[in-house]
Order: sequence, then structure tokens, then C-alpha cells
Amino acid sequence: MNVDNNRFPRLPWIILGLGIIFLAIGSYIGLFVAPPEALMGQVQRIMYVHVPTAWNALLAMTFAFVCAVIFLFKSDWKWDARMEAAIEVGVVLAFLLCCQGAIWAKPTWGVWWDWDPRLTTTAVLLFAFLGILALRKFVDDPARRAIWSAVATIIAYVDVPIVYYSVRWWNSLHQLQSSPSTVSRQFWLPLRMNAFGILFLMTAFIMLRARVASMRLEQELVPPPALGETA
Amino acid sequence: MNGMIPGGWNFVVAAYSVTAIVLAIYGASVIARLRSEINRRNHD
Amino acid sequence: MLTAALRKELLLQWRSRAQFMAVFVFGAAALLLFSFAVGPVAELLRQFSAGFLWLGLLLSSTLTLAESFHAEMENRAMEGLLLLPANPRALYYGKAIANWLQLTLLGIALIPVMVVLYDAGTTRIPMLILVIALGTAGLSAPGTLYAAMTAQVRSKQTLLPLLLFPLIVPALLASVKATSLIILGDPMNQVRSWIVLLASFDAIYWSLCGLLFGKVVEE
Repeated sequence: MNVDNNRFPRLPWIILGLGIIFLAIGSYIGLFVAPPEALMGQVQRIMYVHVPTAWNALLAMTFAFVCAVIFLFKSDWKWDARMEAAIEVGVVLAFLLCCQGAIWAKPTWGVWWDWDPRLTTTAVLLFAFLGILALRKFVDDPARRAIWSAVATIIAYVDVPIVYYSVRWWNSLHQLQSSPSTVSRQFWLPLRMNAFGILFLMTAFIMLRARVASMRLEQELVPPPALGETA
Repeated sequence: MNGMIPGGWNFVVAAYSVTAIVLAIYGASVIARLRSEINRRNHD
Repeated sequence: MLTAALRKELLLQWRSRAQFMAVFVFGAAALLLFSFAVGPVAELLRQFSAGFLWLGLLLSSTLTLAESFHAEMENRAMEGLLLLPANPRALYYGKAIANWLQLTLLGIALIPVMVVLYDAGTTRIPMLILVIALGTAGLSAPGTLYAAMTAQVRSKQTLLPLLLFPLIVPALLASVKATSLIILGDPMNQVRSWIVLLASFDAIYWSLCGLLFGKVVEE
């Protein structure tokens, strides 16, 4: 890394490094040090990455919502860039969550998908935010793109608790199985380490991705003189 | 003691691998995009 | 203000009633196609009839909603409307109500199709109409907002359903459950809770989308 200002910023890299370290240690403990759980055996270990991913996915989406609201009030492009980053990272984490959930469900319930309310809500959320990313791709005018995707983000985020409760009701009429169980006290260490690990990774990703979005916006808003039209 | 679920270890490995791979690929893609934006700006 | 907007919308819709017929035929065709997915098994068809009805309505709604801003887009009438000292909120609610009415009518028109194809008759018709009205209201509020956005964008036909479908999952679930209980029997009177869920969804989104519409169409 060079010292030049236009080169990679230093802070996200530090955070990224921290994240990798925490995640590596937490995973090691979760995989090899923590004892297997009484009922589910080794499969329980999946919770040590699944639960932290879930916390952070929700955090990313919440941050996206906050950025959307702030942007609508302040009209500062910085928040649009952050929102774009948060949505993208949130989508990646939600997708990861669904994969982990399916891998957990197969040995536990015998099926790849068990309509657990939390996971089902995640799937709906994943599609909702993917739609918002698609919206951003198809709108060329930066101001409209920012406002519309902020509005869509607010609408989608408000929907999250509603989706969760409706799926829970819908599901409860058919199934009695419990969702991925809570983890008992002695297993907290790997969970917490991984939670911080993924939190740091996510923060670094959002910072870097927001930087990308900002730079692209800069280019859109002040095009080279030859083109003429300005926002 | 091995778990009640046979072959459970395979799924654990799968879950952790998927996590690592997805995060690594996404991270690489963000870094690559950042790099290309910086290059573009430096060459303008 | 609102009544003027509403009157204009209803007039527009009356003028394009051939389009309503086309959407109805589309919906009925969808119901027919769904039965091919299951096969001629009367029991199964009856069990899933509520789901099929609402899926058919949902698919048809994308056509109706997309059409609803067609007139504005054709002659750039949208900008003209917004230049008037009129509240964009009135424009939104006028359109949303008009869309809602059209979808409710569509739902009611599809009831006999459902009854015939799936042997899904019921005596609780008023209740069924209530559920259809509440459910389509849930589709219409966010749908009208998204239709306004996507009308001005490339790839609008794909974007509207892409944005709308994940969002209305609660309304879909509640509508299907409630309709299903009405058709198949409801010993524990659970319909009420689903209707409450639907009504809450509607209340939240009719207010939220009305609030945000101004931002969507401002220049």
C-alpha cells in the first residue's frame, strides 16, 4: 500500500484484518474446542457462524434503512453511497444465511428448507433487497435513483416485522418444530468472537463499497466538459 | 461423543466453507471494484 | 382535490374497460393453467383453490398496475398534473383507489371461475368479498407507488413484479389463509385474525406509501 491519498484508505483494512482474525479464532474454537451438543451433536456447530451471520445481516439492513431515512431528509450523497453499500452487503449476508440455514436443516429435519419463520423472512428480505439493487441498476438519473431506492428501502424494511409475524402465524398452524435453538451459556465464546468477526468484516466491506459508490457518483455528477449535461 | 446425527461433520464443514468462500469472494469483488475506480480516477 | 383525481381515474378506467376484460381473461386463463399443475384431482384442487385465486389475482395485478400510469406516460401528462397546484398525495390516492376498485372487481369476477374449476363453492360470499377487498387493497397501495416509479424506467415490466412480490408476502399469506378458511371451513373462527392482519397491513401501507409518493414524483 502506498501512502498516497488516492490509494486504499487504511482504516477499513485494519478493520478487515481484525475481522478475519476474530472469525478465524472464533471458528476454530467453535469447530475444535467447544464440545458437541447433547441432542444434535456436531451439527450444532453450524450455529456458531449462522447466528452471527443473522445478527449482522439484520444490522446491515437496519443501517441501510437508517441511511435511506437520513438521505431523504438531508439529501447528502454520502448517505446514498452508504445505503447502496449496506444493501449490497445485506444481500450477501442474507444469501449466506439462507445457505447456512439449508445446510443446517438437511441433517436436522431431513429437508433443505423447513419454513422456519426467521429464515423464511430472510428469504423474502433477500428478494426485496435484490429488487432494490435491480431498481438502482435500471435508473440512470442519480437523483431519482437515490430517492427511489431510499423510498423502496424504507418500504421494504418496514415490511420485515410484518413478514416475520405473518409467516410465524402461517407456519404455526402446520408445524410444531422449533427453530434453530438458542445456545447455552458455555458456548458463548465462539459465538461472540464470530459475531465480532463478521461485524468487523461487514463494517470494512460497507466502508470500502461505499467508497466505490461515492467515486462512481462523483463521476456521474460532474462529467467531463465534452458531455455538457449536468445534474 | 459423536452426535446423534450421522455424517453431521460433513454438513458442518460445508457450512463453514460456504461462509468463508462467500465472504472471500464478495470481499475480493469489492476490493477489485475499488481498485478499478481508483485506477480510473488516477488515469483521468 | 381527491374526488377530482378519483373521478378522473374512474373515467379513464371506464374508457379502457376493454382492457379490464383482457385482464379478466388473463386471470381466468391463469386459474385454468394452475389446475394443470395439480392434475384433475378434485380434492387437491379444492384444497389449493384459495392459493390459485390469489396467485391469479397477483399476476393480473401486475398488468393492471402497470397500465395505470400508461396515460400519464403517453403524453407526459404526469408533469402537467404535477405543475397544477394539486397535492401529489391526491394523485396517489386517486390512482390507488381506482386500482383497488378494479382489482376488487377482478377478484369478484374470478370467484365463479374458481368455483367451477376447483369445486370451491362457499356460502359465505360477503366474507369472501371482504377478504378480496382487503387483500387487493394491500396489493394496490404499494403497487401504485411502484407503478409510478417503474413507469419511467427501462425494463419496467420486470421491475414492477420484482419489487412488489416480496413486499406483499404478508398480504398474500393472510388473503390465502382467510380465503382458504372461508372455502374449506373454519371451525375455530381464525378468519378474524387473518383479516386483522390484512387490515393492519393495509393501514400501514396506505399511509406510508401516500407519505412517500411526493418524494417519488418530485423533480
